[in-house]
Amino acid sequence: MITVEHVSFDYHSQPDVLKDVSFTIDKGRWVSILGHNGSGKSTLAKLIVGLLKAKEGSITVDGIVLNEETVYQVRKKVGIVFQNPDNQFVGVTVEDDIAFGMENLCFTREEITKRIDKYAKQVGMEDYLSKEPHQLSGGQKQRVAIAGILAMDTDIIIFDEATSMLDPIGRDEILAFMQQLKHQGKTIITITHDMKEAVLSDEIIDLKEGQLLTHDKTKKVLQDKVTLNKSNLELLPSLKLYHKIKEAGIVNEELRDYLWQLSLQK
Amino acid sequence: MAIKFTEVSYQYSSPDGSLFDALKNINLDIAKTGEFIALIGETGSGKSTLVQHMNALMKPSSGQVEIYGIKINHSKSKKQKLTPLRQKVGLVFQFPEYQLFEETVMRDIMFGPRNFNISKEEAKQRARKAIIQVGLDESYLERSPFNLSGGEKKRVSIAGILAMEPDILVLDEPTSGLDPKGRDALIDLFTLIHNTYHKTIIIITHDMNIVHQVASRVLVMREGELVFDGTSEALFNNESLNKWNLEEPDLIKMTKQLEQRYSISMRPFPKNIDQLFHHIKDVI
Repeated sequence: MITVEHVSFDYHSQPDVLKDVSFTIDKGRWVSILGHNGSGKSTLAKLIVGLLKAKEGSITVDGIVLNEETVYQVRKKVGIVFQNPDNQFVGVTVEDDIAFGMENLCFTREEITKRIDKYAKQVGMEDYLSKEPHQLSGGQKQRVAIAGILAMDTDIIIFDEATSMLDPIGRDEILAFMQQLKHQGKTIITITHDMKEAVLSDEIIDLKEGQLLTHDKTKKVLQDKVTLNKSNLELLPSLKLYHKIKEAGIVNEELRDYLWQLSLQK
Repeated sequence: MAIKFTEVSYQYSSPDGSLFDALKNINLDIAKTGEFIALIGETGSGKSTLVQHMNALMKPSSGQVEIYGIKINHSKSKKQKLTPLRQKVGLVFQFPEYQLFEETVMRDIMFGPRNFNISKEEAKQRARKAIIQVGLDESYLERSPFNLSGGEKKRVSIAGILAMEPDILVLDEPTSGLDPKGRDALIDLFTLIHNTYHKTIIIITHDMNIVHQVASRVLVMREGELVFDGTSEALFNNESLNKWNLEEPDLIKMTKQLEQRYSISMRPFPKNIDQLFHHIKDVI
């Protein structure tokens, strides 16, 4: 469980990037954090893993209050996959790259080898262990990054726009993974502006100019016009039509259900 | 015809000495004005290689590219004068915002024209015009490019190409990494440049919704071959769409599903939700 209480942050001299943000994410939930560029989404992710330090407020992960002493304990619980596959490939080969996080956590060599095999298989990269990053596609690099995070066996995984630089096939691969991880009981936080990704999650947190605008069940956020008007969410056509029909006063529950189901398809 | 590809092939050699066909026997004509072309296809299908042939950054291994009357083929010496055609066909690379380097936006925009021996005064004037064309104002010219947002940086780099006054503007994944608002603003900008200045625009994209919204012509690349050249309407009716690993735009997908559900036909495909609603309001 993650509790964020009255958190504010600024990058010196600039106005606050986050203003008095509070929310709780329960264990095993998949939560999307949405908002435009500059809304503070990525800053929030960096605060939760202790890459940045909040100006005010507190962050608690599984009962541990995040501070300079506890940051390494927290990082054993929270893994993060970043946007750009090229910026996070640190190993010389796929194998090295998956091992990197585990080495930092001081796993034994034996344990590391075992886990590399297991998680490379899980992301379908077992045949690429000796490959170098330039021999991989963007989607493959992201899968390696995910294997590295999975191998650390954190309970919580944050995907910070992890699909935004991939082509549609690469994106669908990663989305399928997120669903698998959710099944395994992991807590997932996806920071995104892709509504196809958001609609699959359990809850939506919508940020606007550093403030928390909405935090509710995904279905409720996307079906409630009042909430939607406040935010700037870009709806999928099926949901746009859903609301168009509702506004026109046409009562057709069956069609509305159908359109909702359409919006859940990848 | 501004650009004409005749039986163009291009081979890369790998470090181990093996050859890889990046382009296979491409035939293609592109007009000087009025076209809005989307170039699509999977990663590695040859899209970027194709556009780099359009202003002679790359030369064909076999076949010929003719750009504004200048014939480019394998046998030509390196001494050929390519500068004029690079000015005619402006190429904006992916993530151009990483390529800004000058102290001010003004100097960055002037860099391109200055390379084509345009006088300093003229280049300044063009920079003032270009910054307006990309929807920013003159106050940006004195700012440092490094303090701008991602979307603004992209605009400044596009202004740098526009200041060269090309006929044809080629953009490699211009909306990648932008949020929906930034993406829409950029697409509106391309539409404006296309409509107002009658420039031919070619964009490489993975976003099929953009293809549906703005492209009058679509080129599909697959494993180095040009497998489709036609209207977007024809593309979305083409049964090979799946085979080419292309996904339908969300709106088209839903339109087809609703057509089936209500046994109606909605062709040409609606461009937006209002048009779609108009079609179905009487049957639902």
